Amino acid sequence: MIKNYIHNLSQNIFKLLESNEQLSLFLHSEESTFIRFNQSKVRQNTQVHQHELTLQLHKDQRLIKMCLNLTLNESLDLDAAHNLILEARTQLPLTDANPQFFRIKNNGHSEVIKKSNYPNVTEIPEIIYKNFSQDDLAGLWCSGPLRQASINSEGQFHFFETDFFFFDYSLYSGPLAAKGYYSEHDFSEKNFSSQAYATKNKLVLLKKPIQKIPRGQYRVYLEPMAVAEILGTMSWGSFSQGNYKKGVAPLKKLAEKQLFFSPKVTILENFELGLTPEFNSIGELSLPHIKLIEHGHLKQFLTSSATAQEFGLNSNNADVREIPRSIELLSGSMNADQALQELNTGIYISNLHYINYSDIQSARITGMTRFACFWVENGEIVGPIQDLRFDESLYNIFGSQLIELTEQSSIFVDIGTYQKRNLGAMKVPGALVDKFNFTL
Amino acid sequence: MQTQSLSIALPHKFEFLFKEQFNLYKNQADFVAFKLISETTRDLTVRNGKPESLTSFHDLGIMIEVMVGGHLGYSATCELTPYGIQQAFQKAVHTTSQSAKYSVAQFDLSVRPQAIGQYKSVRQKGLDQTAYSEIYDFLKKTSSQLKVSNKIVSATADAMIIECRQRYLSSTGSDFEQDFNIIVSSFGAIAQEGSETQYRSLHGGRGICFQIGSEFFNLDHYLPLCERTGQEALELLTADNCPNETLDLILAPDQMLLQIHESIGHPLELDRILGDERNFAGWSFVQPTDFGQLQYGSPIMNVVFDPNSENEMSSYVFDEVGNKAIKQYLIKDGVLQAALGSLESQYRSQRLFENKITGVANSRASSWNRPPIDRMANINLEGGQSTLAEMISQTERGVIMHANRSWSIDDYRRKFQFGCEYGQLIENGRITKTLKNPNYRGVTVPFWNSLKALSQKDSVETYGSPYCGKGEPSQIIRVGHSSPYALFNNIEVFGG
Repeated sequence: MIKNYIHNLSQNIFKLLESNEQLSLFLHSEESTFIRFNQSKVRQNTQVHQHELTLQLHKDQRLIKMCLNLTLNESLDLDAAHNLILEARTQLPLTDANPQFFRIKNNGHSEVIKKSNYPNVTEIPEIIYKNFSQDDLAGLWCSGPLRQASINSEGQFHFFETDFFFFDYSLYSGPLAAKGYYSEHDFSEKNFSSQAYATKNKLVLLKKPIQKIPRGQYRVYLEPMAVAEILGTMSWGSFSQGNYKKGVAPLKKLAEKQLFFSPKVTILENFELGLTPEFNSIGELSLPHIKLIEHGHLKQFLTSSATAQEFGLNSNNADVREIPRSIELLSGSMNADQALQELNTGIYISNLHYINYSDIQSARITGMTRFACFWVENGEIVGPIQDLRFDESLYNIFGSQLIELTEQSSIFVDIGTYQKRNLGAMKVPGALVDKFNFTL
Repeated sequence: MQTQSLSIALPHKFEFLFKEQFNLYKNQADFVAFKLISETTRDLTVRNGKPESLTSFHDLGIMIEVMVGGHLGYSATCELTPYGIQQAFQKAVHTTSQSAKYSVAQFDLSVRPQAIGQYKSVRQKGLDQTAYSEIYDFLKKTSSQLKVSNKIVSATADAMIIECRQRYLSSTGSDFEQDFNIIVSSFGAIAQEGSETQYRSLHGGRGICFQIGSEFFNLDHYLPLCERTGQEALELLTADNCPNETLDLILAPDQMLLQIHESIGHPLELDRILGDERNFAGWSFVQPTDFGQLQYGSPIMNVVFDPNSENEMSSYVFDEVGNKAIKQYLIKDGVLQAALGSLESQYRSQRLFENKITGVANSRASSWNRPPIDRMANINLEGGQSTLAEMISQTERGVIMHANRSWSIDDYRRKFQFGCEYGQLIENGRITKTLKNPNYRGVTVPFWNSLKALSQKDSVETYGSPYCGKGEPSQIIRVGHSSPYALFNNIEVFGG
C-alpha cells in the first residue's frame, strides 16, 4: 500500500518540476510498536505511524534538502510538497553555487520485501512476564514494518521493506547485570525461552565476589558485542573521505602510511549481510563488498558523490554521511570457546559503554566496561569486576597489541531508535588484546 | 512571512481536525490527551564561505495518550486524517488495555493535572519573519571571518532555526499552547600545519543554544568572536600538550555545561533511579535515601532546575503532561534536595520508598512520536563570590579549560573523562601559556566536593545542547545549562 502510494505521489510531484530542475525523493516509513519494560513489567507501550519524505532539489549548481511528514492523503501531501518546492525556488538563488553539486542520475529499479513472523504485539507483555516473572528485567521490545525508498525525476525507483522484531534487555542481580538479546526470522517460544535461560545463567557468575581491579594495563578478551561498540564508534567519521579532507581524521596516520593496523585486521562494507538496502539515500547502488582496511592497510575511504564532486575524486556510492551501513570485521583463528584459556589471566569484557574519542588525531578512545565483565586467573573466572574506564588508541587495539580475533563472528542488527528506527548491521568476531590501558 | 513555516501556516489547516477528533474520543478511556506538535527546522551550514548543506524539516504529528486501568499508553501518527487518528486511537486503547495487566505502576489522575495557559519564547522579531538570505549571509560572513590564515583548512558556521508549537488537550480539561523560537549555532575552525591538526570553536560544537528571535543574527557581536576563534585555532598548532599531573582546574562555563549535564543532570533523573533506563543509558549512583542527606558537593554549590529562565533553551510554562513548571533547588549548599522526577516518577517513588522524593515539572518528549519521560530542562549552577581574576591569582599551579570536545561517563554516572578544545596553564597566579589537548578525569561526588570557588553571578554564561539522548525508544531533547567559572582543587589532568 505504501509502495503504491509513494509511487503515485512521486510521479505527481515530478510533474511540478521546471525543465532545469531535478528532484530526488527518499522515503522512510515505519509502523512500529515499542514496549518498554522495567521489573519485567510494562513501563510504557507506544505505537508509531511515521512517514517521512525528503525532497532534494538540484538546480543551477545549487541543492537543497527538505523533509516533511506524509499524512497519506494525496491531496494534502502533494500540496505540502508543492509549497516546499515553491519555497526552495525562492531560496536557492539567494545562496552561492554548491561545490558539492552533482547531477542526479537514474540508478535503476529494485524491490526487496522481507517479512519475519512474531506474535501479536498485545501478547508480548504476557510472554515477557511469563519468562521473567522471577527476574528483574529492563528492556525494549520493538517490531513492525519499516520501509525505505529512493525515487528520482530521472526515472529511478528503489523500494526496500522489512518487518522485523527484536527484544533487547538486561537482567539484574543488584547493581550488576547480564545482557540479553533475541531476534530471528520466525519467533519461537522454545528459542526465546532458551536464550532467556542462557542470560539467567550469566547472573550466577555475577554473584561471585566483586573484584576491584586497580588501574593499569591488562590482557583482555573482548566479546563480539564489545568489539561492535568500538567499531561503532570508529564508524562515526573514521571512514569518511570528506572528514579526512576536512582534517577530522582519526585514521589519518593509517591513510598516510605512518602507522598500520595488525595484518589480522580486514574491514569491509559487506552488503551480503542482507539487512540493509544496497541503495543509499539518493538511490546509488553500492558494490556488494568494499574493502576499507585490508590486512592492516587502509584501502579506501567511503566517498559519496558530494565529496567526490568537491574534491575531484571517484565516488564509491557511499551515503552522504559516509558512515558504513553494513560493516564487517573479518574473523581470525582463535576458537571463541577457548577464550578464557587464551586470556589466561586478565579481564573478560562482555560490553563497553559510552565510547568517545579522547584524542581524534591519535585515534585514542575512552569508554567504560559494562554489564558482565570478569577478572580471570589461569583461565578461570574469579568474579565480576567493578567497572573500569579505559583510554586506548585504535592503533594499539587493532594494531600491535591485537593478539588474535576469534573464528566465530556475531551479527548485530542496528537497534537504534533515535527519532526513527535505524536500518543497518555489523558482523564482528571477538578479540584478544594485550596491554589494554585502564585509567580510572 | 518569510517561510512556509508549519508552526504558523499548517496548524490552522489541522486545528479543526485536531479539536474535532479529540472531542470525539475524549470520553473513550479513563483518561485521554491529544498533543499536536508542529515544528519547522531550517538547518544551514556554510563552510569556507560556500554552502555545505541547506536543509529544512517540517515535522507535524499527533501523540495520543490514554489511561486504561491505571496504565498509561501511547499511539502517535502523522496520518492527520479522521481515519489515521481513528486507527491511532484504537491501537492506543487496545495495546494499553492488554499491557495494563502487566503494568509496572497503576496511576491515578493526580499525575495528569489540569493545565490551561500559553507560553511564548521571548523574542524581538519572530523567526518566521527572518529572511533566508539574512541567515545565509550571516553564516557566510562568520564562516569567512573564521578563516584568519591559509592554515585554517576548514571554517564552518552553522545554525538550526527552530519554530515549534505544542498544543495539548486532555479529558481533565487541560488546554494549553506553547510557542518556541529556538536557535542553535556553532562557529568552528580546523587549523593544520605539517602533522598537527587542531580544532577550535566558539563555545563548543552547537553549545550556543537560545530561545530567541532573529535578533540573534548580530554580525557586530559575532564577527570579532569568530576572528578570535580562528586565531586561537592557530595558537593551538604550536601550543604545548597539557601536562599529565594532578593540579587545580578552572572550568569555563562552556565546559561546565557538560560537567553539569553529565554528572548532575543525568544521575538526578528519577526514572533512572527507578530503573527504567538501566538497559540503555544506565542507572544512577544516587540512592532514594540520598535526598536531603548526600553532600553532593562543597557548600558553595547551588544547583537549580529553572524552566522560567528567559532566553535559556528549555524554558516552558508546563511540562508535556500539564505540570506547572517552576524553579526549584536540586542541590542547596552542596546537599542533595530534589530529583528530576516527573509526577509519574514521584507517584511511583512514594509507593516504593519510605521517604518522599521531591520532583519537578520535567515530563518531556522529543517530539510527537515519542512518549514523555523524565528529562532535564534548564539545569543551572548559581554564581559565587569570586572573580575569575581572583581564582587565577589564588592558583599556584593549574589549568583553565574551555569548550568541550570529548565526553564519556559510566552508566551509574560516577567515573567520567572529559576533554576540551583549549587550555591555559596557570603558574604562580598568572596565565603563562596556551595548552593543546587538555583533558581531565574524576569521580562525580569527590569531584564536586573539591569545588573551591565560583565566579560571581554577573559572570554566569548560558549554553545548552540540542542532543541529549535517552530512552527506549530513544529520544534526543534540548537542554539548557548556565554556569559561572568554577575552580576545583587537585584534579587529574592529562594531554594528548
